[in-house]
Amino acid sequence: MKMYLHILLAAVATVWIFTGSAMAADIPAEFSAANKLYAEGKFADAATTYEKILQSKTVSPKLYFNYGNAEFKAGNLGRAIAAYRQAAQLAPRDAEVRANLEFTRNQVQGPTLRESRWSRTSGWLGLLTLNEWTGLAAVALWLTFALLTATQIRPALKTALRGFVPGAVAVTLLSCACLGVDAAIHFTRQTAVVITPDVTARSGPFEEAQSAFTAHNGAELAVLDRRDNWLQVTDGSGRIGWLQRQQVEMLPGS
Amino acid sequence: MILAALCLGGARLDAATFTASLDRDNISLGESATLSLTFEGGSPKDLPMPNVPGLQIVNTGNSQNLSIQNGQMSSVVTVTYSITPRKIGEFVIPALVADVGGNQLTSQLLKLAVLPPNAPPPEAVNSGLEVAFMKLTLPEKEVCPGEALAVRLDIYLRDDVQDFRNFQFTGTPASGFTIGKMIETTKQRVQIGNRIYTDVPLEIALTANKTGLVSVGPFTASAVVVLPSANRARDSFPFGMFNTGEQKQVTLATETLNVESLPLPAEGTPANFNGAIGDYTMTVTAGPTNVAVGDPITVRVQISGHGALDALTLPDQPAWRDFKAYPPTSKVAISDQLGLQGTKTFEQIVTPQNTDVHELPAFSFSFFDPGTKSYRTLTQPPTQLAVHSGGTTPAPMMAATKSANSQNPPPPQDILPIKEQFGSLTPAGPPLLAQRAFLAVQSLPVLAWLAAFVWRKRTDSLANNPRLRRQRRVAGLVQGGLNDLHRLAAENNSAEFFATLFRLLQEQLGERLDCPSSSITEAVIDERLVLLGAPQPVLASLRELFQLCNQARYAPMRTSGELAAVIPQFENAVRELQNVKA
Repeated sequence: MKMYLHILLAAVATVWIFTGSAMAADIPAEFSAANKLYAEGKFADAATTYEKILQSKTVSPKLYFNYGNAEFKAGNLGRAIAAYRQAAQLAPRDAEVRANLEFTRNQVQGPTLRESRWSRTSGWLGLLTLNEWTGLAAVALWLTFALLTATQIRPALKTALRGFVPGAVAVTLLSCACLGVDAAIHFTRQTAVVITPDVTARSGPFEEAQSAFTAHNGAELAVLDRRDNWLQVTDGSGRIGWLQRQQVEMLPGS
Repeated sequence: MILAALCLGGARLDAATFTASLDRDNISLGESATLSLTFEGGSPKDLPMPNVPGLQIVNTGNSQNLSIQNGQMSSVVTVTYSITPRKIGEFVIPALVADVGGNQLTSQLLKLAVLPPNAPPPEAVNSGLEVAFMKLTLPEKEVCPGEALAVRLDIYLRDDVQDFRNFQFTGTPASGFTIGKMIETTKQRVQIGNRIYTDVPLEIALTANKTGLVSVGPFTASAVVVLPSANRARDSFPFGMFNTGEQKQVTLATETLNVESLPLPAEGTPANFNGAIGDYTMTVTAGPTNVAVGDPITVRVQISGHGALDALTLPDQPAWRDFKAYPPTSKVAISDQLGLQGTKTFEQIVTPQNTDVHELPAFSFSFFDPGTKSYRTLTQPPTQLAVHSGGTTPAPMMAATKSANSQNPPPPQDILPIKEQFGSLTPAGPPLLAQRAFLAVQSLPVLAWLAAFVWRKRTDSLANNPRLRRQRRVAGLVQGGLNDLHRLAAENNSAEFFATLFRLLQEQLGERLDCPSSSITEAVIDERLVLLGAPQPVLASLRELFQLCNQARYAPMRTSGELAAVIPQFENAVRELQNVKA
């Protein structure tokens, strides 16, 4: 029985290692193939290839960036903006991502959400990703409690660490506060990016409802509510309407 | 009196009339006639407004006269219009209808003949009889379609003209030409015949627009000249001072000039000729030259020279097949007032479509030069390019961090290129904050600190309580001593066994009685331990153990079994003793 268990474990480990390495080997090749399609001007095909890589649950800012470029060149402003935003979430300090996102946003017509001070992608909160804020807060937390623990074990260190402990506590509180705000934005707010040419936001969550406003491809709208397959959205200027789920791409945060 | 007349009036208005009249029936193009509408015996409810195509009719004033004769009041209302014809021909001013006192009155038809103005004959000009006249001069006898040229129009004013005002062109016909800007150049004085004239030269831009016989003129104009008053006798001041002169309306006309517009030669027409006529030079720049596929390259073409710059367009460049070309933008910078000289700048965005592109092919621009009557082609040599696949182009400044010396970077023309390298792979998943394992790990430092805190509290408590510290030390001694006892019993080492036992009893009792262990003897059992309320069996057991120790000093020989049997008794005694409240 014990021998069978060992064999089973070995088999699972082997499959995992080989599939993992094969996947890792395939992704750069597919990435290069997509880049080649892009260079040849086959933007739609390049976008499809980039999207295929993304479906393998492996991401990188550059992958989203290239995917956004391909969608932009293919005329899909909404998908391009969604891709650039996801790239910006992974690499918020990448100037090229921000430049392309801004350039694409400038091509969008009609109502769209303007970034607020609390937006993830603008302002000082956007300097770090949510995971980076989490890491910073975790490091500060560990450091603070390490110092506190050291002073408990060796009370003589209290004098030597007199300045460090309050500083570490302050850094911890500050980073945790930032993390709290960032997490609140990330987990409680959602943005819908219109990915179809023109959509009519309706006054109610049904097809027969009156038109509230028209949003164009690439418009970024804040999600207020959900009902079945409908999303209640606003462009931030007071206009509210309902869109169907498949007309937009959902992104966390504002 | 008028008020009285108005109060009296009423019965005399029953004979109201409405008549229309012209001050003259024939005028030359450039002159004006006056139309008068007269209402006698009443006022019109609404003024009739004649509308005749080809005539500009403007109301110039209304007047009313009231008169009373023999107790009868009569009223005459006169409305005048200025009529300025726009073309030559015979015009009919239709009958006008007016509501006067509730009666619909109709005027008669009027005819106005507008004659062509004639340029004065050379004899009249040379004789000095003409107060003012115009002369049109064309620089060339032959033109070609699309050619831009400047025609000169001179307005001559005789030296006795005191003022020249209200100059207005009444006709500028040009068959086969498009008329452009008109500018006035420097006045000069010339002698014509025996009179001195002031020459007011004008230049007019013309562009031929068809082949065959084309003509310009006659240009006609009207103006008011002020001449010295003919009746000097009325001027009471010497030397004609304060002589305000007499105003006189004059009509000016030029001759018609005919020019042959020759078709462009079919032979030798360049392939990329797109109709540009003139005399030009060209400068072409392109940049950036180190780009990725799909990146924009701005081609700036500057065409400078003489010609119809507004009509210039960029020719197609078949050699640019490896580029995607966007519609160009253009702006014209004119360097002369007529708009025939200057520079037209085109900016065209082209994007290379593949990495096989190594140069921007030669750019050529062809035009027909009317001066040499031949086609000319200007060619800019190819521009070397370095085209990479997407992503290798250095990021433009706008994409980089803000530079101190680039305060206003130019707006980007396109997105930045793709990235060649994949970068670090990250498994897609929820953020760390949403992962329970991560959150659980974060509790470790807190738990460690709590443990250290509790440990510190206990350590400090122990340090501040000597009895507790002794209690723990003795407990440790006893625990260790029991092991020793087991070992010594097994070794049948009776002397050491009882020496250890005695020492352990001293330590345990000393700790309970809070006195030095060395001072403990069997006597303290009855003297002090009884006072602590220790149970009698415990006391008896302790006495027995002490006695065994004493006996061993004199008769140390015992078996291992006997020694081992003592250990449980000791353990029970110690356990009971520890329960005794110290």
